[in-house]
Amino acid sequence: MDTLNLLGGSAGMHLWAIATAAVVAAGCAVVGTLLVVRRMSLLGDAISHAVLPGIVVAVLLGGRPGGLWVLVGAVVAALLTVWLTQVLHEGVGMSEDAGAGVVFTTLFALGVVLITLAASRIDLDPSCVLYGILELVPFDTLLLGGVEVPRAFLTAGLVFLCLLGGVTLLWKELLASAFDPAAAAAAGLPVAGLTTGLLAATALATVAGFEAVGAILVVAMLVVPAAAAELLVHRLHLVMGVAIALGVLGGIVGYLAAWQFNTSAAGMIAVVLGIEYALAVLLAPGHGILARAWAAAGLAWRVACEDRLAVQWRAEEGGERAADATTVLTRLVCLWLRGSGRIAADGRLLPLGQTEAMLIVRSHRLWEAWLGRHAELPLDHLHPPAEWIEHHLGSEVRRRIAADVGQPAGDPHGRTIPPED
Amino acid sequence: MTGHFPLPYNTLVVAGGMAAVGCAAGVVGCLGVLRRRSLAADAASHATLVGVALALAATGRRELPVLLAGGLLTAIGSLVVLVMLRRFTRTREDAATAIVLGVSFGLGITLLSGMTARGIPGSAGLEQFLLGQTAALTAADAMLLGCLSVAAVTLVWVGLKEVVLVAFDAPFAAASGWPVFAIDTALVALLAVMVVVGLPAAGAVLVTALLVIPPSAARQWTDRVATMLVLSGAFGLTAALVGVAISAAVPRLATGPVMVLAAAAIFAASFFLAPKRGLWARWRQQRELQQEWSGAGREQTQAPAKATGEGGPWTP
Repeated sequence: MDTLNLLGGSAGMHLWAIATAAVVAAGCAVVGTLLVVRRMSLLGDAISHAVLPGIVVAVLLGGRPGGLWVLVGAVVAALLTVWLTQVLHEGVGMSEDAGAGVVFTTLFALGVVLITLAASRIDLDPSCVLYGILELVPFDTLLLGGVEVPRAFLTAGLVFLCLLGGVTLLWKELLASAFDPAAAAAAGLPVAGLTTGLLAATALATVAGFEAVGAILVVAMLVVPAAAAELLVHRLHLVMGVAIALGVLGGIVGYLAAWQFNTSAAGMIAVVLGIEYALAVLLAPGHGILARAWAAAGLAWRVACEDRLAVQWRAEEGGERAADATTVLTRLVCLWLRGSGRIAADGRLLPLGQTEAMLIVRSHRLWEAWLGRHAELPLDHLHPPAEWIEHHLGSEVRRRIAADVGQPAGDPHGRTIPPED
Repeated sequence: MTGHFPLPYNTLVVAGGMAAVGCAAGVVGCLGVLRRRSLAADAASHATLVGVALALAATGRRELPVLLAGGLLTAIGSLVVLVMLRRFTRTREDAATAIVLGVSFGLGITLLSGMTARGIPGSAGLEQFLLGQTAALTAADAMLLGCLSVAAVTLVWVGLKEVVLVAFDAPFAAASGWPVFAIDTALVALLAVMVVVGLPAAGAVLVTALLVIPPSAARQWTDRVATMLVLSGAFGLTAALVGVAISAAVPRLATGPVMVLAAAAIFAASFFLAPKRGLWARWRQQRELQQEWSGAGREQTQAPAKATGEGGPWTP
């Protein structure tokens, strides 16, 4: 497997291999986006395994690896997989995942056995079926306008252009059927035809990537960039664009990393795509883990600050001293309140803090008054819900609550409700 | 390698061990198919490669128990990642499964080929774990795998009632006070163990087939769980023996694909010939019904309702 060193220092060879990886990844990302959005990722998995016997039979019948007949064989095998899964699902009522599991493992096993039995007649190795031979791609070339271009690059590039063209032409239809197939069918769109087309496209993308990264790692190229893109952006054309970018980036970085560490390029590309996905999970705006943690921390901080102001206000209302801050959080909160001019050094409220504290306490007591009138809760059950909601009421809501309960002067406990300003 | 009798001791022990593995995979696989966890097991099986490579790198010992222990750790790790992705991200289940499968397999390949390129002792033949090669097993290895398989079948027998309850009606089980999450976790852990036990025979890529195809074939013949378990075990055992025999006879042929094809042949026979659910029986039933209707001169010419769902024609 020391194949990367075979290329020696020839930068041109490496560039061709990188370009092939990038184009394969781009084609897979186009199809993968549609698969992921339509929740058909596992069909992509099944198809990428099941194209193997199609390819082997085509080669045995005299097709060239990477040639037209191999593409046809792969598409036929893919459609066969889907048809058989459908037969098992609808015909004898097997669950779809078990049906797919039966069909694709069987077809893949058939492919491996055929390869082994016909080893003398075809130039395919079971292990390169599993993880490809990206490193050897630059050695099988065609002369094109005086330049030696790797055959795999040409196939993958052609497939990518076809897929991109097809997607552009059918964009509106694909968009409609991706999110609501039933409505799209009712509106007269040929949803079944589009689905079949998508399956054939998956087979094409798979077979284009087959030589370079093998049957199983194609799954990573199909699904991972699209799933990562879906976390980052929300409109289908953006998802597809970002998925293509992530796929290409993964191809380039993965190849370079494999070169650096002297290991399998296809495997490393899958690993880099996985890292991209993990980063998207962490950093995605809005729904990413960091973004959600940041929002939660911000809310917790605001609640702590407002609670401290309210504690101080209530203490001053009763003419007492507020209890000292004991926890680390409340001490930090006091420091911040002092630094931002809300409380004085001795803990008393300054005008700014006073205004804010009054609004919090007003929200709290108004809510208790409202609950006391409408929810018929006993007195000692009013405080906890009010303690929670006081941080979430705006001035307009407070005004309406006050109007609803008849502008009361005090809450059900008999304490004064502070005015709005 | 044609019939030289008596067979060598090693071959006999390996065949016996693999028969036990095939049988246990069939039995445990039933629960996976009924609970629809087959594809999670597929993701876990692709992740075993990482553990196998890491175990060799960490210990420097190429002994089957060490390698399989590593494989089990990463298989379970991949299932944990899968659960976390479903819990904490917006990625849907199918995509999450494919991500875990593809990326962990890529990592395994990266580690394996990196180790081979560095000439780490013992890493050269690890590709046998991709597609399975029972010829490489020693008698001791086969005995270990056989014992683990017997233990797995015993566990299924002990916990059968609970798992079947959860598989068929999880909300009811939860409402009746059963610890559904714990039972589910135990089931998935058992699937992971079975994936690892089946690894030397069928390889990371195809071991799921041993957990899916025999149960699916057995399902065609019966509506009872106990019968399904027994039949599935018998189918798995047969497929495993056929796989061991043929791959031993044909040079360079990996065991996994042959086992899978043998199991698939059993499945195809079941699909066509099984009474009641089989294609042939359905076709005959339909024809009889049509004749009955036309014979009675009924106006109703509607075709009989198609079977729906897992439970046969009359289950809602």
